[in-house]
This record gives sequence, C-alpha cells and structure tokens, in this order.
Amino acid sequence: MNNDDLLFQQIAAAGECRVDAPSVLKSRLFSALVQAEAAEGTLMSLSECRARGRDLCVFEHLVAIAPIGEDLKSRNPCRVCHARLLAETFEDAPIWWPGCPYADFQNR
Amino acid sequence: MVSISSSQALELAVFFGQATVRASGSRMDDAELVRAVLKRDRKATAEFVQLFSGRVYSYVRSRLAPRFEQVDDLVHETFLAAWQRLGSFRAEAELEGWILGIARHKVEDHYRDRLSRMEIWEEGTAELPVAAGSEPEIDVELDRRLLAARASAVIAALPEHYATILLWRYWEQKNSRDIGMLIGKSEKAVERLLARARAHFKERWSHE
Repeated sequence: MNNDDLLFQQIAAAGECRVDAPSVLKSRLFSALVQAEAAEGTLMSLSECRARGRDLCVFEHLVAIAPIGEDLKSRNPCRVCHARLLAETFEDAPIWWPGCPYADFQNR
Repeated sequence: MVSISSSQALELAVFFGQATVRASGSRMDDAELVRAVLKRDRKATAEFVQLFSGRVYSYVRSRLAPRFEQVDDLVHETFLAAWQRLGSFRAEAELEGWILGIARHKVEDHYRDRLSRMEIWEEGTAELPVAAGSEPEIDVELDRRLLAARASAVIAALPEHYATILLWRYWEQKNSRDIGMLIGKSEKAVERLLARARAHFKERWSHE
C-alpha cells in the first residue's frame, strides 16, 4: 500500500455528510410502497391501524369510524387526497394535519 | 343515510378536540416494524420510510457524486428492493444496516455500469498526474465533519469517471483487481485511472 492509498483511506474514513432526504422523495417513496402493498394484497384496515395505536389523520379517522365494511376501510384514501399531491410536488408543502404521513415527511 | 353511533360521535369529537396532540408512542423495534410492514400496515410503512430514508439518501448521495440527478432513482430502487425482500430480514441484524447493504449493491451496480460504458481507458498525456513536488497538503487531522464535507465538495467537482473510481476504491473499499474484473479491465488499467483521479483530487483540494 502506497502513501496515496493511506491518505485516501483516511479521507474516506471521515464518512459522508448527513443530509435529510427531500420530503418530496420521502412522499413518493411512501406512495410507491403503499401502492405496491395494495397491489399485492389487502392493506391493513384503518380501524385495525387505529386499534394498534397508530395516528390517523382526520380523513382516515372518518373512514375508520364510518359504518362501512372493512374492505372499504382497507382502501388507500391517500390516493385521492390533496395532501399527497402537494407533498409529492413541493418541498415544505403546506400540509400540517396530525397523523398525516405526508405532513410528517416535511423537513420543518 | 349514514348514521353514526354515540360512541363514534364522541370519538370524533375527542379527535377534533385533540387534533393538535400527537398520540404516537415510541418507535417500534426493528422486528416489530418489519412484521407490521409485512402485514401491510401503511402507518408502519410510513415509519419505515421516515426512519431510514435520511441515512440511505445521505449514503447514496455521497456515493453518486457528481451525478446527483440519479440519487432519487437509486434511493427509490433501494426501498422497493428492501420492501420486496423484507420477509428475508433476520432480526439479529440491524434493519438500517440491512437496508444500507441493499443500497451498497445498487451503488456498485451503478459504478460498474457507469465505468464500463465510459470511453476513458485510453490514456492521454493531458491527464497525467501533477508532479510530486507541487502536491498540495491534505490535512487529514481536520475535524471529521469538515474533512467529509470538503472531500465531498472536491469529489463533486471532479469529472465523473475520476469521482467514480475514487469512491469505489476508497469509500467502498473495493480493491483494484476486483474493480477491474467487474468492468472487464486489467488491474493495471484501473490503477492508472486511479493515479490520475488521485492527482486531480489533490489538485482540486487546494482550490476548495
């Protein structure tokens, strides 16, 4: 091993600079994964998510407590939500609802 | 007409009344999180993205310099591959390390593809390393974060093939012979490219 190798190994050992993933990327990742999950089978119903102590957003909460079948509660309401569209398009998207994953992804 | 029971109405009222209060508990452990994602719990999937996207993004971004426009795609591929293989995750490993392992494979595939396609293997006299006497001082005793930031800036300013070969050799700790085998070049050819890349790096270092 020559001196240059040693020098560059020492530089590389400093590691990488930690940066936050852009919120748009996180939002798109989440949408893609949930879409893949839905394509593979039924999503866990929102009422079951709630029973497991998960935070639901106001829209999901309405779906979870609505007197409708579990199959409807297993759909993905985020697909038709404006919060998803905003989060997948803008960094620091104007969404603040508690329990909304897209709001949680914002780097604020 | 949709009717709502009194308990549901109460629940709704409580929800609206506490709309600004976060009800979430502490983070799930890795095994629990994996089980929940496999059960298609969308909230666990959100947590999975939230927990690991920063680390994976930082890693991939640092390794793809100066081609940052491909970072999002590679992070995306990493997460999809991780989700597809989640059933094979064993709890004795750390989930973050496991996902980073997948990212490493993606980065290596990217390097191999990038270097194999480039027309860089004919040596030109214009690309000879700088003379030994004019080499700048590189202070490796700098604060770790400063050193990482400066190295990252220098790498990002290098021509793509130099950045790639340096990252693969030193940051990913792949030896020249293995790199050569993966891209169909001799160890000597890889070493020559590395020598030029190191010289350019050092030259840039003094300008940063």
